[in-house]
Amino acid sequence: MSRVRRIRAAFVAALLAFTRRKTAVFFTFFFPILIILIFGALVQTQPTGGGLFARPPAYYIPGYLGVVVVFTPLSRVGSTIARHRDGNRFEKLATTPLRRWEWLLAHTLVNVAIIGLAALILFALVLLVTGASVVVGPGLLALAPLVVAGVALFCGLGSIIGRVADSQDGVIAASNAVAFPVWVLSETFVPPAMLPAWFRSVTALSPLTYFSRGVRAATSGADPTAALLVLAAVALAFFVAGALAVPNTE
Amino acid sequence: MAGDDRREEAALVAEDVHKRYGDTVALDGVSLSIPAGEVFGLVGPNGAGKTTLVRALTGTTRCEGSIGVLGAAPNAVDAHRVGLLPQSFNPADRLTARELIAYYAGLYDEARPVDAVLDDVGLGDAADTWYENLSGGQQRRACVGTALVNDPDVLFLDEPTTGIDPAGRRSLWSLIDGLAAGGTTVLLTSHSMTEVERLADRVGLLRDGSLVAVGSPDELIADHGGDSHLLLDAPAVDAAAVSAALDTEVVERDGRLVVRNVALADVGGVVADLEAAGADFDSFTWAEPNLEDVYLRLTGEAMVEEVGR
Repeated sequence: MSRVRRIRAAFVAALLAFTRRKTAVFFTFFFPILIILIFGALVQTQPTGGGLFARPPAYYIPGYLGVVVVFTPLSRVGSTIARHRDGNRFEKLATTPLRRWEWLLAHTLVNVAIIGLAALILFALVLLVTGASVVVGPGLLALAPLVVAGVALFCGLGSIIGRVADSQDGVIAASNAVAFPVWVLSETFVPPAMLPAWFRSVTALSPLTYFSRGVRAATSGADPTAALLVLAAVALAFFVAGALAVPNTE
Repeated sequence: MAGDDRREEAALVAEDVHKRYGDTVALDGVSLSIPAGEVFGLVGPNGAGKTTLVRALTGTTRCEGSIGVLGAAPNAVDAHRVGLLPQSFNPADRLTARELIAYYAGLYDEARPVDAVLDDVGLGDAADTWYENLSGGQQRRACVGTALVNDPDVLFLDEPTTGIDPAGRRSLWSLIDGLAAGGTTVLLTSHSMTEVERLADRVGLLRDGSLVAVGSPDELIADHGGDSHLLLDAPAVDAAAVSAALDTEVVERDGRLVVRNVALADVGGVVADLEAAGADFDSFTWAEPNLEDVYLRLTGEAMVEEVGR
């Protein structure tokens, strides 16, 4: 119970601290919506033609959801760690019963709540704006664990970036440098067939690839279990690594 | 064995603690033993190693040497029994004072009521104000509150009154007095000698990573404070002539004459002798040594130590 109490206290504090930053909240939701409006409404897909967006609209659902699953936790957890370090908050927390993994779990849960809501809105918007068609069935429920696993994974990676980068500016730069190629090249917007053969094995190493495959399977009536299991395993590994990266000394 | 005994008896023990940052020596063989219930003041110039020593004792920096907190290694001690206010602590700025205290209280199995902590640090009326909208002194008091939520047995306060106005400072002093009376061991760092002299049972003076003196304020003043002295505003008077007339050492500093080793009871006589010798002065001040004199002498930052030496 005391562990739950600690995690709840850290969760509530982190959630309040975030939701009171109106600019951060606005852009957390606005940025992916902007992406949908640009790619889904302005550029549009061309299923019968060539070019980058040559697949049916539903193919790009993982890409749109990936915006919030990758960018938000990476930058939020990374910059939170930098901010905590600058304010000597980890020095303080290290002398409390709160464990490092508990701290990361609390912040991951905050991200799950925020990104879960954002993903829900985005999913509805994608269907509405792009006309993407999905197979409605129990398989769609797999979207929830896929988003949770993806968020946990990138929270862990964000923690590692926050540990390595020596400032908030550094975290933002590093997060963008990592997030953008991962987001674009993980079977999200660029189909593997358009990539050089040698690069496809690189794509297979990206954890977001399994998020994409899982979401695509879940929305097309296929079985997302295999992709979900791979993603969950990688997420666990990144979460553990991220927890170890949370500073507990100056 | 002796070391083990000390560790069991004392709330805090440091033995031959060393810490380096690259080529910079932060702690150079610091040994210290603080019994339970003592308020220990740690003073020293910027960069002397005060915060590093606090970090070593709280296990938030790695160092060489042996450290015991309540009979255990810093990282093995029951965290419920320890409280820390780090230097330059800057918590989440968009939590209210109440939420901030509640957050840290929520990290412990048993915590004091949030409102009681807020009252202790004088923030009852500002409890629902965001941290970023509190004044500097209120912010620091909120930070102090976060170190008190678990009613710790050992409390580390790294410059707790920085930025707090005199009234708030005195309020916190009373709070620390109360904690000490209740048996809490307090290690406090400060640049205010008045504060340390007022609060500490014993004082440790750090210089260049070494503890150069440890003792009660009275002991330190007696051993290192120098003599009481008389300061005269006498810009036109020759120090050597006065010294010869009084048959005691008189030096000139910044346009003032300093007559050393003058007890309070002797002031009238010295003043009469000065007037008899024709020394023309506008005013005089008698001063006795205090902890600040000790600090200035032992840290090598002294200006007034020339007085009476």
